[in-house]
Amino acid sequence: MKSINLKENQFIQFHQKISFKFDGVKYFGYKGDTIASALLRNNINLVGRSFKYHRPRGIYTCGIEEPNALVQIISEYSEPNTRATIKKIYEGMEIESQNRWPSLENDFGSINNLFSPIFTAGFYYKTFMGPHKKFWKNLYEPLIRRAAGLGKPPKDFKGISNHIHHNVDVTIIGGGLNGLLAAKSFINSNYDVLLIEFEEQLGGIINNSNKISLIDNKEPKDWLKETIQEIEESKNVKILKNTLVTTYNYINHLIAIEDRFVGYKPIEGKVNSTLHKIRTGHTILCNGHIERFLSFQNNDLPGIMLSSSFEKYMCRYGLAPSKEPVIFSNNSNSNSLVYSLIKAGLKPKAYVDSRSGEEIEPNLFDLIRKNDVPLYTNSQIKGAFGNKKIEKILVEDSSGALNEIKCDCLCLSGGINPDVHLFTQSKGLLDWDEKDLTYKPSKPFQPTITLGSASGQFNFDNLNSDVNEKLKTFKVKKLDVKLELNTNTKYNIEKLWEVSPQKKSLWAKSFIDLQNDVTTKDIRQAITEGFDRIEHLKRYTTNSMGTDQGKISSINALGIVSDLLDKKVNEVGTTIYRPPYAPLSFSAIAGRNCYEFYDPERKSPIHSWHLKNGAIFEDVGQWKRPWYFQINKDESMHDAVQRESINVRENAGILDGSTLGKIEIKGEDALEFMNLIYTNSFTKMKQGSARYALMLGEDGMVKDDGIICKISDQHFIATTTTGGAATVLGCMEEYAQTEWPNLKVFMNSITEQYATFNISGPKTREIMKKAFPNINFSNEEFPFMTFQFHEFNGIPIRILRASFTGELGYEIYIPSNSAPKIWDNIQSVGKEFGLAPYGTEAMHLLRAEKGYIIVGQDTDGSITPIDLGLSWMIGKSKKDFLGKRSLTRSDTIREDRKQLVGIIPSNKADKLEEGQHIILDKEIKSPVPMLGHITSCYYSSTLGHDFALAVIKNGHSMIGTKAYASTSSMSTTGVDIVKPVFYDEDNKRLVS
Amino acid sequence: MLIINCPYCGPRDQSEFSNGGEAHVKRPDGSKEIGDREWGEYVFIRANPKGLFYERWVHTHGCRKWFNCVRDTSTDEILVTYKLDEKKPNLNNFKSVVKTPSGEPEVGSGNFTVEK
Repeated sequence: MKSINLKENQFIQFHQKISFKFDGVKYFGYKGDTIASALLRNNINLVGRSFKYHRPRGIYTCGIEEPNALVQIISEYSEPNTRATIKKIYEGMEIESQNRWPSLENDFGSINNLFSPIFTAGFYYKTFMGPHKKFWKNLYEPLIRRAAGLGKPPKDFKGISNHIHHNVDVTIIGGGLNGLLAAKSFINSNYDVLLIEFEEQLGGIINNSNKISLIDNKEPKDWLKETIQEIEESKNVKILKNTLVTTYNYINHLIAIEDRFVGYKPIEGKVNSTLHKIRTGHTILCNGHIERFLSFQNNDLPGIMLSSSFEKYMCRYGLAPSKEPVIFSNNSNSNSLVYSLIKAGLKPKAYVDSRSGEEIEPNLFDLIRKNDVPLYTNSQIKGAFGNKKIEKILVEDSSGALNEIKCDCLCLSGGINPDVHLFTQSKGLLDWDEKDLTYKPSKPFQPTITLGSASGQFNFDNLNSDVNEKLKTFKVKKLDVKLELNTNTKYNIEKLWEVSPQKKSLWAKSFIDLQNDVTTKDIRQAITEGFDRIEHLKRYTTNSMGTDQGKISSINALGIVSDLLDKKVNEVGTTIYRPPYAPLSFSAIAGRNCYEFYDPERKSPIHSWHLKNGAIFEDVGQWKRPWYFQINKDESMHDAVQRESINVRENAGILDGSTLGKIEIKGEDALEFMNLIYTNSFTKMKQGSARYALMLGEDGMVKDDGIICKISDQHFIATTTTGGAATVLGCMEEYAQTEWPNLKVFMNSITEQYATFNISGPKTREIMKKAFPNINFSNEEFPFMTFQFHEFNGIPIRILRASFTGELGYEIYIPSNSAPKIWDNIQSVGKEFGLAPYGTEAMHLLRAEKGYIIVGQDTDGSITPIDLGLSWMIGKSKKDFLGKRSLTRSDTIREDRKQLVGIIPSNKADKLEEGQHIILDKEIKSPVPMLGHITSCYYSSTLGHDFALAVIKNGHSMIGTKAYASTSSMSTTGVDIVKPVFYDEDNKRLVS
Repeated sequence: MLIINCPYCGPRDQSEFSNGGEAHVKRPDGSKEIGDREWGEYVFIRANPKGLFYERWVHTHGCRKWFNCVRDTSTDEILVTYKLDEKKPNLNNFKSVVKTPSGEPEVGSGNFTVEK
């Protein structure tokens, strides 16, 4: 195929040469070229190998509908499956062809073509069954994956995308003739309008063809320029170019992707695409039409192209891919290609039309006659032949005689379809047009308006009245545009889906889906085998399941199926169109919500101290908490945790508890509210005292726990678990607003306003005395579960005497800004008493020794306070609280509920593990009745052996008995079921 | 993907809100004796109609206020929002946009995009 440049072009800058590499060879194109147009300029048409048969494939179209010309962009993180027909070239671009080995010219995989008679629809399903299941995973699948497919996955991809939200009255999709007319009528109206165009330039058909000769007595290009200027100058119409609407959701919500680097190499670290999320009152679809191809033998050979695409290359890219193409059509849409060729001083080698001479438009007839173009009416192309490119075609003329024509390019037109993809995504309904042989939008489901060829108006005669009629719901200007055309005015098409091959052969292939290598034979076979529903047929044959979604071929498949089944096309129906319209990268969807912005990190005010002091962090919700502190690089986690825990038991430890949720509750009815939210009763509680409290769901299950400080009946401070803080506040707000709006109560999160230090251990009192010399820490003055407000060096602090370790302990609450200073002070005065920081793991170990639960670890949303043995915390005299009634439901008073117990190995040297099942028998014989499982398990240096908490059926009454813990190696470990408290059972240390 | 009209703040993006399930479900008075069944229904049973539905929402990343709305569960369209202390609107005041609300033809499954 020899192409020529047509120097007259406004979009290609012929003075600006651009070099790029395709499969390692350097070529030149011009500024404005797509990969496809640049390759065609260099007379390259073999650009890839097909999915299944590895057949040579060329450039078939000039736009987003491209099924064949998919390439890998090596210079952009090796981005695969890029459509060569839309991606613009830039200096230094590196491109590779796909699915070939070792080279595009000599592809080993093309041997598949030889075996193709057996690779029919369902081949894989039927063939790769045996002899053993493992064969699929280990042999067949890896082999098939190697042989079939598209590009290779990209490497180290780190695209950056922004999201932009729009909220407008009207969105016009498509900046072609109708889109511009619609936008024009909205100029300076009271509507916010968004005009979205996929290409770099507005104009659509005006730029892509020579169909229109004059608009309002002006050259179309001049009219276009003026109109665009008018729109750009208007106050209310915004234009988005290089933006493709991919998704049309419910409630007129659109998603569009904008390419920010059209014609340039994306700069690393810069936003390379923008995802527009558009909410709109009305959507006006002006997204035009797509040309169909035709099926005949070897309709996939490089050198075959859609006729409107050929014309688009001429008009938009200043390039005629061939000097003398043959045109094969069954409709009037290809008329303008003949006109364009002749206008450019070229002429078709032959014009083949399946329609009879009477049906062919008279002005086309004249044009062909005048220029001595060989004309074949009532004729069909039986096949195309050649080696890796088209060399000749076989035409059956009206007399049935066969004519061989040598040619290097064949342009096809099988009719046009409105681009109904977005319309059907919006749930609009389609209707088959028997005259125009295509599905057209009929009933919109949302406020959707379709204009122009997108609505099935393939003629221009009703242009004004159509736009005016459909836009009459808006207060906008009436249009009165005069169009003059170069070619025919009435769209005319004759039914033709497929031409059968001249010779019957197992190797003769007429493709229906180029990207997935589906032939018309596959469709026949699927129907014979019973897959005659269109959705089944699609999946069985993989027809229209490629990245192009069968844009140029799916209607042809429906036509063939309807003929085979002898049904109307409307009865066959279409497969459902799902978003996105064209592939959308995950990086665009993710936007900025990735990497360091995926989830915010929350840090305590002491975080930098932890960093300096060997803290290893764990994630708790969004918080970074010190897990344990390494005193040197060689210390293992186990050693660190044991050291920290022993130090708390023997000396004193300090934990950064700033991440605990803190909620302040105030108001006249705060007491009543707290009584309703928590299980405990706060009425008789003294001011200045604190209480461990449980919060239930309405189902009676434990949702959260914490310590409630009562400042007065009108003022409480509650702590929550680190992870539960937001939920607890949300729950309080919900009940305050929805169930008890009569209560005067307010609540607010003060989690980040206050840092919390938990100091505990036998030497704590000495440390506290030294750190806060003005406060009396004696047992009488400062008893267990009380709190006091103090001022220290001008800093207001609150000290609560409570403990989560079982040792004497205090919690200090300090305004976050002053916290580091006080933390440092405590560290320095505590040194002589052996004070050391401990992390969350040691805290977990210490609390488990005391049998304190962690909500979410020892409970899982199916555990009541009674199951935990915490009935004493339930304010039974209270009339009501969250979940109270559920505690007496038949299900919650069952005796065989899973209940919290302690577990120790019968042989103290044995190890236990979290998640182990507790069973009754030593031998594991299936089925094994499982009593429950271990929820927390640690090695305790204090005890000298492993111990665990577990929830097991009827656990409370099993205390004192023996059971077994199953292991992953199918053996069991003998265990004793004990009370869930392993240390200082009578709380002597706590209250000392 | 909705714009939700918060009765306190005005129209805002759906991502600012959280759904709170069926609205106008009265919590039984805890001080009165009620049976397991009645309480169980309050805790576990909610309506799930196709079509118009009274629903609760909360403006989580906004004013944190709870409010009620009428949503068409088949189209996701929120037809009206109102404050908790306002009377619930009569559902007869709203017309479903199409007869079969998901937009599928009356005959056949939702998979058809062709008018039957």
